[in-house]
Amino acid sequence: MSDIERRIADTMLAKLRERDPALTSDDLTRPVADLDLDSLDLVELHQQLERELQVRGDLTDTAGFAFLSDFSAYFVKLANQG
Amino acid sequence: MSAGIVDIATAKPGRRVDNEHFTAIGLTDAWIRRRSGIASRSWLPDETPLAEVAAEACAPVVTRSADPASIGALVVVSTSSRQRVPGIAQKVAHLAGLGPSVLAFDMNAACCGFVYGLVTGLSLCDAGRARSVLVCSVEAMSRMVDRTDRQTACLFGDGAAAVLVEERAEFAGFRHVAGCDGAQEALMRETDAGGIHLDGAQVYDRAVRRMSESAQYLFDHGPAPTVLVGHQANGRILEQVRAFTSHLGVPFVNRIEHSGNTSSATIPLAFAEELDAGLLPASGRLGAVAYGAGEAWGGVSVDYRVPASTAS
Repeated sequence: MSDIERRIADTMLAKLRERDPALTSDDLTRPVADLDLDSLDLVELHQQLERELQVRGDLTDTAGFAFLSDFSAYFVKLANQG
Repeated sequence: MSAGIVDIATAKPGRRVDNEHFTAIGLTDAWIRRRSGIASRSWLPDETPLAEVAAEACAPVVTRSADPASIGALVVVSTSSRQRVPGIAQKVAHLAGLGPSVLAFDMNAACCGFVYGLVTGLSLCDAGRARSVLVCSVEAMSRMVDRTDRQTACLFGDGAAAVLVEERAEFAGFRHVAGCDGAQEALMRETDAGGIHLDGAQVYDRAVRRMSESAQYLFDHGPAPTVLVGHQANGRILEQVRAFTSHLGVPFVNRIEHSGNTSSATIPLAFAEELDAGLLPASGRLGAVAYGAGEAWGGVSVDYRVPASTAS
């Protein structure tokens, strides 16, 4: 796991734990629909990843992501475009 | 010498509506609290004229003024006033006890209305066009919303608040930032069928960005605010703006729990409630930031010194 991927995973796990402190990194592979996240949580996650990586994404790109791994791939790509 | 806020008062004369009211449309208290941070809101009776509610907020400020005749202008801000001709500002001036020599007018800039009205009032004072100016926001959002709409019915509340601005030797100059993008008008709008359409995710995203950026601008230009009050649109938005502005090191006010979103009135209502609760000193520098339909956004930083415990 690269440094960027680790920072993304940490940010996502922190977001998940706001809803359920018992969740672990294993839960990052579950579908978004199976997690206790609402649409505003996903906007918050998008913004928090932007701040963590100092990049700017497009909310319309991430709105339909079904898995947190989709967020990870999207923001890794943005960060690497730097 | 510059103009600042020297008095403030509020009016929330409606009935209290708690979250259980919305079980009829399938919403639970837990869901509303999680989604918005709101537990209750005040709704005015449908028949109560907004001019009377605005006057209820303005009258104490006029009464307490050392020289009511010096109040040369009244800006009445409202998104929800249905009265177009005449507007309500003249009636509010009459009911609040202002004399006839007052530049009284209505203003609508949706949820940014108070910031824009305050900038207008401060500008009139600093330009020497009025010795003091009354700026009042009054809203009955419960009359605009579709009360059966699960997305918006629970978000909005009613109320009014008024501030008096005038020049004081101790006040530093106010600063403001503002902007608009009419291409985004579809994000928040009144629908033809009655009710309010909100593009929730986009509005959330843009509101957080715009209010955080406006706050940063106020800190980068002119004396730093001692408190930040954002438009109380949604508790989730407020907490995200609080997080994004935490590096600024000043209190960020979130009073939405028992007020809901009262559009243009949220900022002065929240500021007054915070003062009344003794959570803010009676003097300082207010940073007010807003985002709303239009889309429009903006912020203003302004010195204040108000009488202790006079807000409500």
